[in-house]
Amino acid sequence: MNPDIKISTRGLRKVFDHRVILEHVDLDIMAGESHVVIGMSGTGKSVLLKSILGLIQPDAGSILVNGEDWCALSEDEKLERMRCIGVVFQGAALFDSLPVWQNVAFVLLRQGTSPQEARARAEEVLDWVGLPGIGNKMPAELSGGMKKRVGLARAICHQPEIILYDEPLTGLDPVMSDIILTLMKRLHEELKVTSLTISHNMNLVRKFSDRVSMLYEGRIHQQLRRDEIDTCTDPVFRQFVEGTAVGPMHIQGTEHNGRNQP
Amino acid sequence: MIALLESIGAMLQRLCLQSGLYPMLFGKIIRRLAKRPFFFRQIFLQCEEVGVQSLPVVLLTAVFTGMVLALQSFIAFHRFGAESMTATVVSMSILRELGPVLVGLMVAGRIGASFAAELGTMRVTEQIDALWTLSTDPVRYLVIPRFLAALLMMPLLVVLADGIGILGGYGISVWMLDQNPSVYWTNSFLYLKQIDFWSGLLKALVFGGIIGLIGCTEGFYCEGGAVGVGEATTRAVVLSAMSILVGDYILTAWIFQ
Repeated sequence: MNPDIKISTRGLRKVFDHRVILEHVDLDIMAGESHVVIGMSGTGKSVLLKSILGLIQPDAGSILVNGEDWCALSEDEKLERMRCIGVVFQGAALFDSLPVWQNVAFVLLRQGTSPQEARARAEEVLDWVGLPGIGNKMPAELSGGMKKRVGLARAICHQPEIILYDEPLTGLDPVMSDIILTLMKRLHEELKVTSLTISHNMNLVRKFSDRVSMLYEGRIHQQLRRDEIDTCTDPVFRQFVEGTAVGPMHIQGTEHNGRNQP
Repeated sequence: MIALLESIGAMLQRLCLQSGLYPMLFGKIIRRLAKRPFFFRQIFLQCEEVGVQSLPVVLLTAVFTGMVLALQSFIAFHRFGAESMTATVVSMSILRELGPVLVGLMVAGRIGASFAAELGTMRVTEQIDALWTLSTDPVRYLVIPRFLAALLMMPLLVVLADGIGILGGYGISVWMLDQNPSVYWTNSFLYLKQIDFWSGLLKALVFGGIIGLIGCTEGFYCEGGAVGVGEATTRAVVLSAMSILVGDYILTAWIFQ
């Protein structure tokens, strides 16, 4: 396997209630690239992300992270290797019962780092995302945009090699969206982390992606470099990019995230 | 007709899927119990939540149960001149049945609901998924501490409830019904056997396990947003209460027959 490939899925298939969500998904995320997966709601973007994270067990296929087949690992082995990945959730998913700094330094505290050191690192990362001095606040005291930035701080605090973003701009106003997007770009450029983003926001795709894959009817329908987005003539891709209701796209039902939780 | 059969089939399928979740989570708990890491701080915090925070409601229930039981028993025994048996009936009823069952029902209402609501909210807001991505096993971090806390704290709560219930009966009998304090005290323990005490503790342990497992399972596998959390919470309380009553019969029949 090419050592430059950070994440690779081969023949990924997932079916829920007799409905095929993913069908033979082959995807390679190269080291240091920012890869964005786009697609309409219900096309399996979140299922793809959760499959990579081991939150959903695929029915067939393999998921290789750093060349290792994660589908063949035990739960404990997966948990151990999960440290190489940081995840920014759509709703931030901060732990309500912990103050902000403990949320951010969660992995460090679990690894046995002293509370003083973990606190210092958390404050440093919070400062990096533009939220200095909020370490003692509880998540309930934060606005949506602040929660998202704390979520980003938590994802990068333990310095992962790969960051996965699940709809990072959903539910944010345009100004806050731009702030988050700028942070994501800075993170990508300064720390050279590999990014996989799930989104249907074309502004994010144009500003943040190196490559973009379109998921349609459970398969990777198109895979392009960023500079090919505007020249691509595929009618399904064009309909999505232009955001029109009229076109060849078959509109599917609602999103299904499954129940195969760990 | 076919639609009716389909809906019955779908209901049975849902029931089977739902009931399969309890042994599944129990299996996960058992498999992880002996393996590191152990989240002692989480276990301690949950013991405080289940044990210390439940004390007011449990003790209040116990003292009034003892008082009512003494009053009712005295009235009944007075009809055929056996008032001195009041103490025996109060202590035996509380130790064998009322202590574990009433404490179980109170804890099911308070803790079962709280486990299901907390874990359910964490599930629908992706906090449980987030734990996994932060290299932390959600079963070890969230479920095992709650399950162990319910299992360990229930017997302690029942011992306290037994004592307070018997004291409640003593207070009513001695101060309101003019029974002789030393005779009452002697009769409270004269006819008791060790099995009366231990059977109550065994029941408490089993009920604690039931409450912990049902509350955690309902919350951990919750689906469907806020409505799903509400339904999971209701199911946790109702199923725990029903399981305690059924379990009580089975244990009583097994221990005393």
